[in-house]
Amino acid sequence: MITDAEKSLAIEAGNNILVRLPNAGIRSININGNSTVSLGRFGSFHGKELVGQPYGLTYEIVDKQLKVLPPHTVEEVEDTDATNEYINDGEFVQPLTLEEIQTLKQAGVHASDIIKKQIELHANYALKTEYSKEKYKKRKVAKYSKLFTTIEPTLYNVCNYWFEKDQNRIRQIRVDTLSQMLNLANIRPGGRYIAVDDASGLVVAAILDRLGGDGRLLTIGDTDSPPAYPVMVHMNFKPAEVKRVLATLNWATADPDHDPLIPPSELPSSEIRSERQKSRLGKRKSINDALHATRQELFSGEFDALIVASEYEPYSVLEALFPFIAGSASIVVHSPHMQILADLQNKLRGLPQYLFPNIVEGWLRQYQVLPGRTHPMMATSGSGGYVLHTVKVFDDPEAMPVMSHRHKVWKKTPVASEQVSEGSQAATRDPSLSEAELDGGGDVLMSTS
Amino acid sequence: MWSTAREISPGDTVVIWMTRDIIQPIVVTPGKDINNRFGYYKHSDLIGIPYGSKVGSRNGKGFVHVLRPTPELWTMALPHRTQILYLADIAFITSYLNIKRGSKVIEAGTGSGSFSHSVARTVGTSGHLWTYEFHEARANKAGEEFAQHGLNETVTLTHRNVCKDGFTIVDKADAVFLDLPAPWDAVEHARRALRKDKVTRICCFSPCIEQVLRTVSALNETGFVEITMYETLQRPHEVSQISLLPSVKEAAGKLKQSEQRREEKRLRQIAQNKAKFPAAGPGGSKRKRDEHVLVDEEDCLYSELAPQGGESSVVIDDNASACGSTKKLKTTDIASEDDKAMSALDDGVEYPGDLSHHISSCSATAGKMSVSKVITEVRGHTSYLTFASLLPIPTGAVIKEEPGVNIREEST
Repeated sequence: MITDAEKSLAIEAGNNILVRLPNAGIRSININGNSTVSLGRFGSFHGKELVGQPYGLTYEIVDKQLKVLPPHTVEEVEDTDATNEYINDGEFVQPLTLEEIQTLKQAGVHASDIIKKQIELHANYALKTEYSKEKYKKRKVAKYSKLFTTIEPTLYNVCNYWFEKDQNRIRQIRVDTLSQMLNLANIRPGGRYIAVDDASGLVVAAILDRLGGDGRLLTIGDTDSPPAYPVMVHMNFKPAEVKRVLATLNWATADPDHDPLIPPSELPSSEIRSERQKSRLGKRKSINDALHATRQELFSGEFDALIVASEYEPYSVLEALFPFIAGSASIVVHSPHMQILADLQNKLRGLPQYLFPNIVEGWLRQYQVLPGRTHPMMATSGSGGYVLHTVKVFDDPEAMPVMSHRHKVWKKTPVASEQVSEGSQAATRDPSLSEAELDGGGDVLMSTS
Repeated sequence: MWSTAREISPGDTVVIWMTRDIIQPIVVTPGKDINNRFGYYKHSDLIGIPYGSKVGSRNGKGFVHVLRPTPELWTMALPHRTQILYLADIAFITSYLNIKRGSKVIEAGTGSGSFSHSVARTVGTSGHLWTYEFHEARANKAGEEFAQHGLNETVTLTHRNVCKDGFTIVDKADAVFLDLPAPWDAVEHARRALRKDKVTRICCFSPCIEQVLRTVSALNETGFVEITMYETLQRPHEVSQISLLPSVKEAAGKLKQSEQRREEKRLRQIAQNKAKFPAAGPGGSKRKRDEHVLVDEEDCLYSELAPQGGESSVVIDDNASACGSTKKLKTTDIASEDDKAMSALDDGVEYPGDLSHHISSCSATAGKMSVSKVITEVRGHTSYLTFASLLPIPTGAVIKEEPGVNIREEST
């Protein structure tokens, strides 16, 4: 377990950190000893200058040196009578040429002075509304200033970074959806979980982050060697947060009926010819022992939840790992495709050991809240994928539903699939026995339709 | 928090799941029983069985599932004393505020304790939640629940009006969550309570946009940065299995058949008319024949016009019969679907849809497919989530005025 004192508040050498650039783009940089970090047109600086700094600050790059800027607060914009009535497109308004700006930049003139000059020379600047002037200045700052802000590698920030960068590699898991998955799976310090993560390790990183070094996470992958979980790089986990928590098996070694072919690690001493061979055998033995122990751990079961974000057919995943989770454990399956989960749900609700499988989709909308300019963002993400949640239960075939004697009633008044009674998703469509079983009494829902 | 043992013991809080909408938390107390329309159960029947068990009623009619409580189940089951927070908001706030193992969190007000339970679970015993409630009776009730759920170590509950009196800690919290009618009055107190050696975060939860605007101003004036606002919801989907949709070619086939029948009928009628009046007088006969010729010509005209969208009786006829046949088609479909469902019921056979083979093929097995849609009535708004950060004060750093903010043009 790690303590608070060990958790780093500051940037350390070797960290992969995220920085936000003036144009709102986010870049991942490696802070490595003496090397220079380049941010393209926003300048470059000595990486070691960031070491020891807390996250979240904004810096200006001046001659490869960093200067901390005070926090940027929003100012009220005065309302004036200006409108765009007299501003037309295509007018020649800026006599300052690109070459002249380039010359100013090369002469070392500060970005703020360049912008000031542009404003002075701008033919229609005075006609603009105050809001429009703000926007103009912001655009110029984004263009000419050599600023950047370090971003704390929280799960939220790292997930957003990956979602922006390449959402296909994280199977389109948006941060609101990921958060719901973690809560639905009841991730808590000390818990024991199984994850199947074909989402570049986003789910693994999320669970490890929540566990904070206390708990257990077994992942099942499709590779021989431990899978690469590239998202973890940006979390900058301490070894203690990963080492004793995370273990990995693959679909072959996770099969209890399979006997993995393991090269022998113990030879009679007469056959050991060199120290090198001895140490190699030693290493092999510890690998074999670890594999054996991890398998035993999986097979003894009682895990607290199963979280799946996989490219494999989801029922095959559930079928393989269902025996190893505890009664009342949550099962959470994510897919970017509704169809896949629709088929899965349809399958599961015929099986009494899965309680109330249901599917939700996250919906998220961000707003700009500048004074006097509050509105939803114009661009938004369409979907963060879909999540199926169900709970493992132990069936009792002897137990009879309350409404079993009402089957005849159902035959007389069949419910068309289009009719849905309020407040229930799965239970309403099919008046099938399995549904009634899953929902115990069930009749509250059904008697209303 | 709650029991992590495999089996249920006396004194455990367990969740009795009757339906999705009827979930009841109980403390297992030998001697007590549960008696409702889902059956009759003794608490003592639950002792020693594993969590997640299905338990049949003592009278043989009905059953329940006995689940291990989780904050999510608690949110679904808890006695509402106030408007509560639901999963989508709780989950998103937890991530945004970077709440995890060991986090020190402030919450005001406690309300019904939905968010409190979730945070207490997530921070664990190495973290802490300070929660404040200004309504005394609600505070007492929440306190009882925290004690019952073994949260005394993790949660400190204080009965107090934080807008007036502030919080009980200084420079200590990693995150603050304000669910108050006037969060702007607590923002300065929140700043004091937050630690200053790292990025800390605040979330204000308000249903009205006017509250958001006042909160944003207060946050801005107090020195919070990166102020933004989110709305998040869950869209529950409902899956149905339906027969594969018929092709319009089927409809066309039926229409063509009925067209054919109509034409045959018309020809038959003409033939009958001819047979009826074969020996009419010369004058009358002539007139009749002319009429027939006229009708035939009109028919030809119609059939030429029809494809170009001409308004003719033929086209109208077609529409009517099309409607009729689609209706018929639907009814038979539903009936056959129900029949199948019923026979599946009677035989105890699993509902079709074998998923063991590849995904792309499985949705269409046995002439069925799974379809989904968002359920018709969904929660449309909970609250606006206003977030902001408080930045650490760097030690020994060269602080420079930000050029971007500082541009003041003289010429306006």
